[in-house]
Amino acid sequence: MSGNSPHLLRVTYAFAAAAFLTLVVLVAVSFWLLEKTSSSTEDVLKRRQQRTSLTRLLSAVQDAETGQRGYLLTGEQRYLSPYLSAVQNVPLRLGEVRNTFADSPAAKAAIEQIAVEVNQKLEELAQTVQLQRDGKIADALAIVKSDRGKDIMDVIRRHISERIDDVEAQLAVSAAAQRENAALARWFTLGAGLVILLAALGATLTILRYTRELVAARAEMEQLNAGLESRVKERTADLQRANDEIQRFAYIVSHDLRAPLVNVMGYTAELEAGLGTLSALCDDPKLDELASGPGARAAIREDLPESIGFIRTSTHKMDGLIKAILKLSREGQRVLRPEPIDLQEFFQSSIAAVQHRLNESEGQAEIVGQLPVIESDRLALEQVFGNLLDNAIKYTVRDRKPKITIRQRPSLWGAVVIEVEDNGRGIAAEDAERVFDLFRRAGVQDKQGEGIGLAHVRTLVRRLGGDIVMTSELGKGTTFRVMLPRKLPEKRNEQ
Amino acid sequence: MSNSEGKAVQIVMIEDDAGHARLIEKNIRRAGVNNDILAYANGTEALAFLFGPDGSGESSARKHLLVLLDLNLPDMTGVSILEKIKANEHTRRTPVVVLTTTDDEREIQRCYDLGANVYITKPVDYENFANAIRQLGLFFSVIQVPETK
Repeated sequence: MSGNSPHLLRVTYAFAAAAFLTLVVLVAVSFWLLEKTSSSTEDVLKRRQQRTSLTRLLSAVQDAETGQRGYLLTGEQRYLSPYLSAVQNVPLRLGEVRNTFADSPAAKAAIEQIAVEVNQKLEELAQTVQLQRDGKIADALAIVKSDRGKDIMDVIRRHISERIDDVEAQLAVSAAAQRENAALARWFTLGAGLVILLAALGATLTILRYTRELVAARAEMEQLNAGLESRVKERTADLQRANDEIQRFAYIVSHDLRAPLVNVMGYTAELEAGLGTLSALCDDPKLDELASGPGARAAIREDLPESIGFIRTSTHKMDGLIKAILKLSREGQRVLRPEPIDLQEFFQSSIAAVQHRLNESEGQAEIVGQLPVIESDRLALEQVFGNLLDNAIKYTVRDRKPKITIRQRPSLWGAVVIEVEDNGRGIAAEDAERVFDLFRRAGVQDKQGEGIGLAHVRTLVRRLGGDIVMTSELGKGTTFRVMLPRKLPEKRNEQ
Repeated sequence: MSNSEGKAVQIVMIEDDAGHARLIEKNIRRAGVNNDILAYANGTEALAFLFGPDGSGESSARKHLLVLLDLNLPDMTGVSILEKIKANEHTRRTPVVVLTTTDDEREIQRCYDLGANVYITKPVDYENFANAIRQLGLFFSVIQVPETK
């Protein structure tokens, strides 16, 4: 998987955090705007009340004036009642005005001014009405004619109208503020919504990308796995092919080496036969009469037999080596036949096969514990353990009775580990790997052998799908540990 | 070695190793076989003799031949020579003794399938080799060779 994923996860978290933060801000701002709108609504209501109270005050004063004029004109009592009720009404209306303007200190002076003027008007009205009642109609009309009442009334009208204008102006301001708030709320909600939407979109895209990456990574992994398997198969097949080629090569080479060797040996035999004829000549006393006689006799009696002897031993040795290579390559080409083998019985018969040789040196071999049953190639196992037993009997220490122990060792990976231990002369540490090499031997060369036994054993064990290791102490003994699979690997069978 | 009419049998030896050829000849002679031995070191020359310049095999007609054949030749395999001998109507009754180093079982089976009369693996060591050839010589001295057509 690419290193991009933690980054993508972080981006997703960032988007989610941004969306959440925007939501919180939106809620807070909405609350604040709502508060603001509600306070300006109250303000508007108050202004309207102020306007209404002012209008009603003016109306009450005008009612009073209308009543006064009717009474002055007619002198009839019934025209007086509107005046009387209006006069009663005015202080109430004035109180209302005072109430509604209670929290507007800026207007207080103007309101008090209006109250004073209203009271002056009421006084003027009351005076004329009293004069009429007393029958002094001319005096009353004179007061009216003086225009004092009209002037006051005009002032009142003007002042109240001014107040109303003022209130109207403030109303307009409040309404504008309210509109502004609403617009602000609208834009802000729109913006915040957009931000949240973008964050959600970003997060979704990131998650989609992340998921796609995951899917791609999984596909890649599966492909890699499949590729790996086929690569392993290919390599195994390659190795198998190379191995087969080496074996064929060894086989062909050893065959071709054999042909000239047959000639060398054949003509050496012919030479020997010829020499037999010549040696009869040496017995002839007439030979001494020749000048070259003694030299010829020495050549026939000593030099030639010696040369032929060396040729014979060398060809014999070479013949042995070629045979060994041939045997190894032939062994490699043999098809393994797996069968169930009871190792207990197997080793009993292996020991029985070498018992006479053990008896000669008063040695003994024993199996410790119970050995398992495995599925393997019998012939190969016979050669492997036959070689190991043979070595154990062959390379002993003088004056020490050979003792061979065969046992099973616990193993980790379900394989069977068989140990063959002897008390022989042992192998020096520097020779530990060398003994498994072809044509290499270790220690004192006092025994017959070509140095192929252990090479052969290792080749066989590996072909069986196992391995062999050795631990040894010079002069004390050697232990070979053979690891074998419980079942022969299939690939080896297919050849 | 003889035939029913007392005509001489010729041994055709196809062997590329001159040393082997000489050793074979010597040991056959030691067995008391005195027939002509015609030695050929390669397949081409041997085939030229057996089938004549026209390659028909007409030249070998009415002869008494015995072929001693090595399988590992420089120019062709002994198997293809065997195949040609057994496929030609003039030479197909000629006894063929395969004498070679190859001891591969499939190769042996193949030679017999193609009509080889005897298959002998050359022993590795000289004593056995000489012994085998001498016994082959003894075998030659009693064998009846038919006339080619």
